[in-house]
Amino acid sequence: MHGRRRQTTQEPTVDEREQNKQRVEKYCALNGLVMNNRAQKVFSKDALETTKRLLDLNTELHTVWNYRREIFTHLDDWQDEEKRQEMLETELAFLLEIIMKNIKSYWMWNHRIWALQSLPRPGWERELGLVAKLLSVDARNFHGWDYRRFVVKQLKKNVDVDGQLEVDAREFAFTTEQINKDCANHAAWHNRSKLFPAVLNMAKNEPERQGLFKKEFDMILNAIYTDPDDQNAWLYYDWLLGIQENGEEKRKLLRDKVATIRELLELEEDSKWPMIELVGALIALEQQNPGSVTSDEKKECLDILSRLKEVDTYHIGRYKDMSKTMSQQWGGIC
Amino acid sequence: MSDEATTDEEKGIFGGLFVNKHVEYIKSLDKRHDEIEYWMTEHLRISGIYWGLVALHLLGRENELDRDKIIKYVKSCQNTDGGFGGHTGHDSHLLYTMSAIQILVMYNVLDQINGDKIIAFVKSLQDESGEVSGDCWGEKDTRFAFISVAILSFFHAVDQFNMDGVIEYVRRSMNYDGGFGSQPGGESHSAQVYTCLAALAIAGRLDIVDRDRLSGWLAERQLKSGGLNGRPQKLEDACYSWWVLSSLKILGRVHWVDRQRLCAFILSAQDTEDGGIADRPGDIADVYHTCFGICGLSLAGFDKYPLDEIDPVYCMPVRIAERAGLRSWMNNVPKTWK
Repeated sequence: MHGRRRQTTQEPTVDEREQNKQRVEKYCALNGLVMNNRAQKVFSKDALETTKRLLDLNTELHTVWNYRREIFTHLDDWQDEEKRQEMLETELAFLLEIIMKNIKSYWMWNHRIWALQSLPRPGWERELGLVAKLLSVDARNFHGWDYRRFVVKQLKKNVDVDGQLEVDAREFAFTTEQINKDCANHAAWHNRSKLFPAVLNMAKNEPERQGLFKKEFDMILNAIYTDPDDQNAWLYYDWLLGIQENGEEKRKLLRDKVATIRELLELEEDSKWPMIELVGALIALEQQNPGSVTSDEKKECLDILSRLKEVDTYHIGRYKDMSKTMSQQWGGIC
Repeated sequence: MSDEATTDEEKGIFGGLFVNKHVEYIKSLDKRHDEIEYWMTEHLRISGIYWGLVALHLLGRENELDRDKIIKYVKSCQNTDGGFGGHTGHDSHLLYTMSAIQILVMYNVLDQINGDKIIAFVKSLQDESGEVSGDCWGEKDTRFAFISVAILSFFHAVDQFNMDGVIEYVRRSMNYDGGFGSQPGGESHSAQVYTCLAALAIAGRLDIVDRDRLSGWLAERQLKSGGLNGRPQKLEDACYSWWVLSSLKILGRVHWVDRQRLCAFILSAQDTEDGGIADRPGDIADVYHTCFGICGLSLAGFDKYPLDEIDPVYCMPVRIAERAGLRSWMNNVPKTWK
């Protein structure tokens, strides 16, 4: 039970009590009827209708969803392609209605997938449009994004390699769109990290590749300057640096990151994420190329960790551990 | 004794934890037949009992429920395929099979049911690639990877499973933030992180985890209120006290969050009139949040009441996990993590 407010305790009126009693009786009677039909293995259109009425009241009854699927496959109409298409289209419309009421129900999404996979002519493109609409209402919805990835997988099954790349490129553009709307969208950044390698593979030559990376870094910088204390762009930044090949270019990128963070810290010296990331970037540099981090910078890292303990008192334990590890690894200077 | 003379402790309140109220709340759950919620939640009754029983164990009050009645009920939920439904007559699903077995383990009566049938049921849900479904309808999720491995471990039968396949499935679900999604490609979510870490702990493959990155991401789930959320930019919720802290416990990093502030948040989500804990202060309490709120207090080291210690992999008291021979996962934790 998430997010339902507690009311101040008030004795229900006689009317309310009676209403509640009737509601309970009605629900139990319907539930009893459906479960009884199930036990008797009744696979009729009437039985199908009763499951719909019950699921409309309670979407969480996975046994009833299972039963509903069993009834469908036992109906004579199921064997007729046209009739099956029609039945399942109606089912999808019903599902859409109740998904909008309770977006978080796993069982409904499962049932939707089943319905689509059972359709003689599934409309995956239409599903993609539907998810986009859903994500425009709730841009972070877990089920929405999972379902989107599922739909994309189906779309890719039906096309050749070029078509698949096109789908990936379109999905990548979708994450750009989402991040431009809200650069703190964790779901969009995450999905971007899954798609960028495919986009990168499409580059025809090295300059094009470099251009793609440049675009990513610009996007990250834009997000970081918008809100330096949002962790999403930083995570993506780390990941993007992590997939670079070790060498001079990677060291330069890490140095760029250090310079960017110093700029940010000049604007706001107690900004938590830039501080954490500065330490992280210097650790990465030293790992890459031992000796490339100066002893002043190493001291700076320890100073930052001390300051972080004051700026962010929730994570003192973490900063203490980091200081300890750093002192052990960089022993001489500390 | 007059009312004024009654101390908090006599009322069953310890350092702000309303112990007696929570016990009474959990005991009342099976009697609320006039409430529509009672009937609407019937399909997961067996999980409700599990959550209530864990909470009561941690509070040291497990004897307050009718043991024999519960055991009989749990047995009635087993189907011919070997799995358990959420209620008598409901279809088998790993989620409810897990709750059923956890209850039987807590009551020390696992030997009263046919383990071979359960093992067969679990094995039937793994595909050739190692991925695991929740039931015969085929929904795949890393939650089910954990549950299947955990159930088999209750019967000391993990060697009958394609463990390499499961580990690979979990590994493919790992993301750049160190966390895990519901499937390969899925976004990290701290409840999913718990299930994946617990699966790897039992499998002895925690070495594939990016400990520092994941610990950092999990620690950042703590918000100003002291409560924890499941993903960035989401609201805090008492149940993440369990999902996040159990994960940090496995990683040896519980001290990376502010435990006192977390305890204060959990206590603030209590219903101090009717008992129980809600997702957030002022919301309606339920047994799920009551269980995971109290689990969170136990992991966070709440010391105003002698809460029983909870095992972060199996979500049942350590003493019971020990009795059932389920603590060997601890030997699998990489040495540098200790």
